[in-house]
Amino acid sequence: MGTQAEAFSAELHENIEALQTMMGHSVDFVFRILTISDNRRAGLFYLEGMIDIQTMQDHIIRPLMDRTREHEITTEYIKDRVVEVGNVTLAYSISDALEQVIAGSLLILIDGSSEGLLLAIEGWEERAVTESTTQSVVRGPQNAFTERLRTNTTLVRRRVRDMRVRLANVTVGSMTKTDVAVMYMSGIAEEELVEQLLEKLRSIKQDAILEGEYLEELITERKRQTIFPTFFNTDRPDVIAAGIMEGKIALFIDGTPFVVMAPAFFTDFLQTPEDYYQSYFYSNLIRLLRYISLAICMLAPAIYISLTTFHQDMLPTQLLLSLAAQREGVPFPAFIEAFIMEVIFEILREAGIRMPRTIGQAVSIVGSIVIGQAAVEAGIVSAAMVIVVAITAIASFVIPSYTMSITIRMLRFAFMIIASIFGVYGLTVGIIVLIIHLCGIHSFGKPYMSPVAPYKKSAQTDALIRYPFRSRTK
Amino acid sequence: MNKKRAALLLLACLTVPLLTGCFNSKELNQLSVALAMGIDTVDGDYMVSVQLVDPSQMSKNKVPDRSPTTVHSETCSTVFECVRKMTTKTSREIYFSHLQMLIFDEETARKGIKEPLDVLFRDPEIRPDFQLAVVKNKQAKDVLEFVTATELLPALEMFKSLKVSEKLWAPTSSVNVLELLRGFELDGRNPVITGMTLSGDMKKGKSLQNVKQPHVPANFHYTGIGMFRQDRLVGWMNEDESKAYTYIMNRVTSTAGLVNCPHSDNKFIAEVTHSHVKIKAHIEDGKPKGSLHAMVTANVGEVECDVNLSDEKVFLELEEHVSYELKDILERGVRKAQKYKADVFGFGEAFHRKYPKHWRQWKDDWEEMFSELPVEIKVDYKLEKMGQIISPIDPKTNRED
Repeated sequence: MGTQAEAFSAELHENIEALQTMMGHSVDFVFRILTISDNRRAGLFYLEGMIDIQTMQDHIIRPLMDRTREHEITTEYIKDRVVEVGNVTLAYSISDALEQVIAGSLLILIDGSSEGLLLAIEGWEERAVTESTTQSVVRGPQNAFTERLRTNTTLVRRRVRDMRVRLANVTVGSMTKTDVAVMYMSGIAEEELVEQLLEKLRSIKQDAILEGEYLEELITERKRQTIFPTFFNTDRPDVIAAGIMEGKIALFIDGTPFVVMAPAFFTDFLQTPEDYYQSYFYSNLIRLLRYISLAICMLAPAIYISLTTFHQDMLPTQLLLSLAAQREGVPFPAFIEAFIMEVIFEILREAGIRMPRTIGQAVSIVGSIVIGQAAVEAGIVSAAMVIVVAITAIASFVIPSYTMSITIRMLRFAFMIIASIFGVYGLTVGIIVLIIHLCGIHSFGKPYMSPVAPYKKSAQTDALIRYPFRSRTK
Repeated sequence: MNKKRAALLLLACLTVPLLTGCFNSKELNQLSVALAMGIDTVDGDYMVSVQLVDPSQMSKNKVPDRSPTTVHSETCSTVFECVRKMTTKTSREIYFSHLQMLIFDEETARKGIKEPLDVLFRDPEIRPDFQLAVVKNKQAKDVLEFVTATELLPALEMFKSLKVSEKLWAPTSSVNVLELLRGFELDGRNPVITGMTLSGDMKKGKSLQNVKQPHVPANFHYTGIGMFRQDRLVGWMNEDESKAYTYIMNRVTSTAGLVNCPHSDNKFIAEVTHSHVKIKAHIEDGKPKGSLHAMVTANVGEVECDVNLSDEKVFLELEEHVSYELKDILERGVRKAQKYKADVFGFGEAFHRKYPKHWRQWKDDWEEMFSELPVEIKVDYKLEKMGQIISPIDPKTNRED
């Protein structure tokens, strides 16, 4: 450890030696020796691909090589008078300097000087701002976050031109040293929550932070853990902009286009940005549809199981006879039948997500033929069950938040098991328990079911239904 | 340790659905749905017949030449015993929740239906919303074995036919088992059950041949209403008298009233659109007296006689005529019920409500009192619309009115 904190030596070749040792002679660690005056040499050190080569050539190498100057060459002189770069700092120890080099700075060492110059000219290949692929809208802004933190914060800042927008930076992860930017609006967001969040972020001891989920899990206290998502994530800048104006806190994680937002309430997961870009009549109808879909996705197979195995008397006679006809010759109990179909569907879905796009069609054709038709014709499952599974599958796509839809899909299996043992009675108890659980959990200290439970009248303007904007003005 | 326990619990829960017969769960293909039940009396014992649905006949790719229903019969001293005994003949549990029709033969109905009905009320699995009928001159088993033309399932055809005719044809009156039960329990009202008959070639009627040609060799139809005293059938009302019953019970939603035209033998039909009959109780000189006040609105449905309807006098005459006809029907209906001492209209109930003190004295011999109860009948009949034409078409004269 001692050698790492070592200061630079005045001898350039010694420094080169030391840097090379520490970098383990990595091939992408490049150094270039320039003779900048008769008796002086300068070393330029950088990681290939991490810096902007154009800037280096035009604004660093060219001025350095300009032999017309007469002033004595010192590190100070080069910093102030020669290089044409904005962000320049001095470095005294090898390890500090290397850390910056890894992050994308250019290190300049002058022969005879034991100070290093760090020039922040990072520039790497970056994905351009494109359309959101996870939450697309028909009407409304189309651009989505990218992997670059600064681009992302800018996308939000450009939407909220208010001085109260604050950004705080925390570096998390001992290996990844991920930059996490916390954005909130001072005066609207609760300062206490912001402090708490920053505190928690600083205390995280992890090697790697690659995505928002890492933070979500690490921030949530163990005893408060739940199957429901308590953080909201999106790759849409307009959603984050709206969120921070409501007093939420956004976490931008460098390297991922998904920005995490807290506190998140249950109703947030059933809203889409397009709710606000369409007329409120339509938006509210669609919202209603989403709540129905959520119920279908969670309960349809369970209700089917409980009705056909426990409460045949609750079905209309004609429907019962038709279902009975379909079930003739099906060798499994309704629960097993439903379970098989749901698992097959989950397999198809997972395959659809992971497989290379080019063979996607093959899987969907096989899937639809195998589970849609062949299974029914072979008498392994009943046609009614295929309908039930299909409707749950489609309903699960209506839930706008992917994380919420995952939760609901998992709960579906739990409800199916309950239904197969206890019927509608069990379902009722199950739903009651679920609601109690929902009312008991908190997202970042705020009740999850807020503003429905606890009921807050002022917040109803955009909870279950969206009121017209006219009635929301203050 | 805690996690291990939770995992074990989860595992245990997961295995439960795999067990057979857990709780009262029944798969659909372990059930035989019973749609109709018939109760006959044979040598003092009950013969219980059950019409079961063959589910494979309900699907699209059914096997032809297989009957959609099967009928099983057992003879034993109680209904419950019979139902259980029937499992020796079927591979599946008989499921009674969807029972649509319960049919008695006349002998059982005259003997009393409380006994066989008890199990049907008591069993929580049976939904008390099935319809009842008493079959005249035939056994209930014959009804169940019948092959019907429109619906695949005879029980459903009978159920629907009862519902439709009740709505459009006043003489039929469907009786749901709950109403019957209420009739048993109510003070001062006797229950009724609709009657049904089978007609035609019964041998063909019980085979699929019944529906292999447009002409149906054998058919069933609802006719008349059976009056009960307590739980015993005492007599039948004919079609007109049944009509009186439906009018008085305010069950008429729409029906056709057939009347002779004034001054001719031709017919005239009034299509009733609205009807309300009030039963009132009075006491005159310490004696009970009942009255009926009918308010009926009707449209002109069909005119076969040669009258000029645009003439107000003629129209009013017609109105008076139908009014008189209805009064006659109501009178005959009441008289029939009085003859059998069966207060199916609920006059007793009206007295019970209005004169509870008197009722207590009369209660015990109300049946006798009802048979001699003077009933005053008043009819307000309104003919309203005449339809798209006014007077009947007369090809001979070309009237311009």
